[in-house]
Amino acid sequence: MNPSVKVEEISKPADPLSHVDPRDLPILPKPYDDAEKIPAWKPLSDKAKGEYESSLDDTIALSIRKPASKEEEERLIRQFLDGLEKLFSRENNWTFLQPMTLSMENCAKCQTCAEACHIYEMSGHNEIYRPTYRAEVLRRLYYKYLKPGGALFSKWLHGDIELNWTTIARLAELSYRCNLCRRCAQTCPLGLDNGLITHDLRKLFSQEMGIYAKELHDNGSMLQLRVGSSTGMNPLVVKDNIEFIDEDTSERTGIPIQTPWDVEGADVLLIHNAGEIMAWPENHGAFATIFEAAGIRWTLSSESQEALGYDNINYGLFYDDVMLAKVAVKHAKAAKKLGVKKIVLGECGHAHKALTVIADRVLTGELNIPRESAMALLKEIVFSGKIKFDPSRNDFPVTLHDPCNMVRLMGIVQPQREILQLLCPQFREMTPHGVDNYCCGGGSGFAIMSGHNFEDWRMHVSGRKKMEQILHAFHDELDPSIRKYVCAPCSNCKGQMRDLIKYYDMWNQCGISYGGLVELIVNAMADAQPGYIEWGLF
Amino acid sequence: MATIELAGKQFDVDEDGFIQDATDWDEAVAAAIAPTEGVDSMTEEHWVVVNFIRDYYKEFGVAPMIRKLCKSTKMDLKKIYELFPSGPAKGACKIAGLPKPTGCV
Repeated sequence: MNPSVKVEEISKPADPLSHVDPRDLPILPKPYDDAEKIPAWKPLSDKAKGEYESSLDDTIALSIRKPASKEEEERLIRQFLDGLEKLFSRENNWTFLQPMTLSMENCAKCQTCAEACHIYEMSGHNEIYRPTYRAEVLRRLYYKYLKPGGALFSKWLHGDIELNWTTIARLAELSYRCNLCRRCAQTCPLGLDNGLITHDLRKLFSQEMGIYAKELHDNGSMLQLRVGSSTGMNPLVVKDNIEFIDEDTSERTGIPIQTPWDVEGADVLLIHNAGEIMAWPENHGAFATIFEAAGIRWTLSSESQEALGYDNINYGLFYDDVMLAKVAVKHAKAAKKLGVKKIVLGECGHAHKALTVIADRVLTGELNIPRESAMALLKEIVFSGKIKFDPSRNDFPVTLHDPCNMVRLMGIVQPQREILQLLCPQFREMTPHGVDNYCCGGGSGFAIMSGHNFEDWRMHVSGRKKMEQILHAFHDELDPSIRKYVCAPCSNCKGQMRDLIKYYDMWNQCGISYGGLVELIVNAMADAQPGYIEWGLF
Repeated sequence: MATIELAGKQFDVDEDGFIQDATDWDEAVAAAIAPTEGVDSMTEEHWVVVNFIRDYYKEFGVAPMIRKLCKSTKMDLKKIYELFPSGPAKGACKIAGLPKPTGCV
């Protein structure tokens, strides 16, 4: 690691700008306190380094091809400058212009945000991951290129910066070394938002230059708009899978269920992250069991073209406003088509933020259909007395992860806790928790990004704080014979939990497993056959 | 996009070695990918899994749910991991010539 790397060095040759040396990273709690026993960081191959921009650190998120000629480099720099101008113009960025401008012009450099950032802390305080590092690069470019007299005076007033292709390529990669968890924004005494700055940088790169993570765009938003889901499931496949889940769940619980499709006028349109259906079918099975038992008038939607009904993901939230708006409108159309009373979002954090909060600015008139979190409805059901519970079935240590988009951003803190306090006798909080909890390390799409050695970075650096928190929460019961459950009510967070558990062999070494919230509810249903939760399957 | 040669044929692969277009996939190609995923030799049980994935993909254009794979092949997940150490999605699907799974899976 280069402990003294300066902002202006982002433009200077160095390969890389700062190393991520596993020896610099804070030591994890037992039994991972021996660095020798932790999986080794896989170095980037020479081939990858030759083909793609990799001069930031020791990993690659975006696979940006190196420009073939000086002309191409110049064209890319012009594109970047056009994009920069658009970020700060009302007609192109009316949604975020005000907080962006405030964040550019008011930072007091107090560094309160840095201490709140799990990536900065758990990288061993690597300067390039400091929340204000990338913000400061953008700030200097902003003053130099967009402010009157910038070319003449900004160097002295705001610090020097050179805009070349190296700066751009590194800044693009650097915008994918932040989970967009906005813990920094929460702590800033001036209310400035380094998370938004990172988000808008990603937006500039995607909308203006076609630079994005292909997992989020080609295989994410675009695939979703083409076939109906980022998982690739078309309506035929999703219906077939749900039928399988219904049968399988009925067998396991002894309670027959049949998921309703396309019911007009239903009270609730449930939209899952379709990853649940593919990879965590017990999640949908549990939702269906609970809704049926509570007598909810609910439905799924099989819309896949004019409207999007069965995959709530909206990866545009992470990188591209145009994609975000396209998908959000189609989600609302699915509800409008069926004439349902409201949309309920399943266990997916970013979908909560995208459809309920951000989309509020694009969904107007008859598309402004009530949208709410499953957490609230689940709490209502659990406390309604309609279902009989036997909490002794959940008598194992449980801790709760707080998905950033659902909890810190939207303030949905209590419903899931009250459910766990009622149904899980050994529930214990992480430290810190609620709106102060840390990101799982997979936020902003990282959980599905694992090209080259990016997974190593995600496991060693961005996921390190969550590892530490989980081990602390269970510190007195780490014996692998004691089964423990990390409840993570978000598909993206669950993907990260699964990867962490596998990577560090946490099930075999510590008896730590993971899953959603609804699985714990069904596991405690007195009328169901016991043992809904299956342990040790990853 | 990188290109690799498998069983005498050229394939475009992504950065994790997943074949992008499986039109030319055959059993010899599968056997050539297998060692890169920790499968030394393809046994009958390996083929049961790979063929199920392959047939499902041909019919539906997407990988099967893991639970469905287990139920249809009558193998539990532990068994699948024993056969394919890198797992059903990264190991078995890759050998079956499928592209890398997409979405939050």
